[in-house]
Amino acid sequence: MIEKIDFKSFEIERDAPKELMLLSIISQSFFQPFSLEDNLLVALTALTSGSGVGFNRAMLFLKEGDRLKGEMWLGPGSAEEAGDIWEILATPGIGYIEIIEHNRTLVRRNEDTLSRRVRDLVYAADAENVLIPALASRLKNILLVRNASEEPLVDRRFLDIIQVDEFLCIPLIARDEVLGEIVLDNAITRTPISRGDIKLAGLCGLIAGNYIYSATLHRKLLEMEKTSAMGQMAMFVTHQIRNPIVAIGGFADQLLQPGLAEDKRDRNIRIIREEIHRLEHIIFQMGHFLKVSLKEPIFFDPATVIAAVLESPEIQAKRPAYDLRVDIEDGLPLLYCDPTSFGEVLRNLLDNAFDATPTGGRISVRGYRKAGDRYVLSVRDTGKGITNPDKAQLFKPFFTTKEKGMGLGLPFIKRVMDTCGGKIEVRSRVASGALFKLSFRCRDKE
Amino acid sequence: MSNAKKRILLVEDEQPLCLLYEEELSKEGYDVTAVTDADTALEALDRGPFDLIVTDIRMPGKDGIELITHVMGRRRDIPIIINSAYQSYKEDFMTWAADAYVVKSSSLDELKAKIRQLLER
Repeated sequence: MIEKIDFKSFEIERDAPKELMLLSIISQSFFQPFSLEDNLLVALTALTSGSGVGFNRAMLFLKEGDRLKGEMWLGPGSAEEAGDIWEILATPGIGYIEIIEHNRTLVRRNEDTLSRRVRDLVYAADAENVLIPALASRLKNILLVRNASEEPLVDRRFLDIIQVDEFLCIPLIARDEVLGEIVLDNAITRTPISRGDIKLAGLCGLIAGNYIYSATLHRKLLEMEKTSAMGQMAMFVTHQIRNPIVAIGGFADQLLQPGLAEDKRDRNIRIIREEIHRLEHIIFQMGHFLKVSLKEPIFFDPATVIAAVLESPEIQAKRPAYDLRVDIEDGLPLLYCDPTSFGEVLRNLLDNAFDATPTGGRISVRGYRKAGDRYVLSVRDTGKGITNPDKAQLFKPFFTTKEKGMGLGLPFIKRVMDTCGGKIEVRSRVASGALFKLSFRCRDKE
Repeated sequence: MSNAKKRILLVEDEQPLCLLYEEELSKEGYDVTAVTDADTALEALDRGPFDLIVTDIRMPGKDGIELITHVMGRRRDIPIIINSAYQSYKEDFMTWAADAYVVKSSSLDELKAKIRQLLER
């Protein structure tokens, strides 16, 4: 017998040991497609929340080149605020989304006080005479500092800001490289930092360090892909734009010659108009693809967007010539994606299905819940299908099997799905149509 | 025979361009057969002799380079001009088999000059 267990099904009970609780929150958060900043915020929260290890405040430094720079400082500004925050975070059933939302607000609220003050702290991380807190990063060791005011190795500016006598510095290390540092203290409760808390916080530091490493690597990789795509794009655009321009120029030259027959004159003007229209389309497509960044995903109700796409004039115009079937289960959950991008994704998939299918063919749109927190939206056509070599290239920019296609639709869809942590699956056999399955994270409406 | 019109086989997948080249080269006094893909071009070659071939490179189905390879296998003596929107194919050694490489331009002067030059050779 084989049992399949979803990684994300590990709901750790509230009364579980705090060590397990903390590691669970951090590792599950890193598993999610949140941004680097949001995930680090979750880590800091886990370290400082009432149910976490029990530190009161957490300060994050990140390495930028050879400098260690204050980035974020999370924690209550006063004992009163601490009570409020810890109460919220101890609410049963509270999840990462709520924690992030809550802490975003907190960080914003503290922008004038805590976080802004740490952003002034910048250290030359590798300098011989560097002071605490940056010394921990240079030594690649955890440093527990007691009686800080009497310790000459502690930076006075830092001490003025943090204003505690006991704190813990944890360098964030991956592959022997320092990527940042966390400073933890108990400014509100004044509880001494225990050996157990140090061990656990150190373990969190290791996880966070490796997470920053892989997230940064992923960012760099995306940048590189973008640069290489730009090169391909330049070549492709040359071709795409040159052809209509040659046609426009050539037919315009004919118009300038004396004695051109009336019917040819009309034909030339018509061709020139069509080619200009084509150029406009190319420019529109390029602009769309080049949008530097997609909007952040949110949980939204997809019903109105799906309806808007299906009822759009472009789809309605094509509909009578095809057998378009829509089968979407009632009670749609909220999906995690940017709503506008979601609409464009569906629109693109439908356009492809119409283009690939001869008139009279069937195109089916299905939507159904899968495995709890996943929602699948699929578009199936009965068109010409995709060959195996083409399948391997489908998501590469500028690859197209359409005569007038730009090859930017599917790469765009992939970008959207990557941004929201969704998945895309393609199944197809030549001459028997294609199935595109998109899987989104979802949650029930409240 | 020398007064007979020279026959050009033109391969261009873009309809408007195909029409433009056909008209402009006909005006120059050539007998132009214009086709929009490589397979039709090969069929045309089987049917009759041509004095010169002008071909695009990027085309759906067989591309211009494959076409050149096929032509060279059958008739090594027909001059071939590559007429492409891409400058970069010049660096592809496969295109060196052609007799001339013209980058598409809205002025057809360069293409016309190359055709004249190759046919007079």
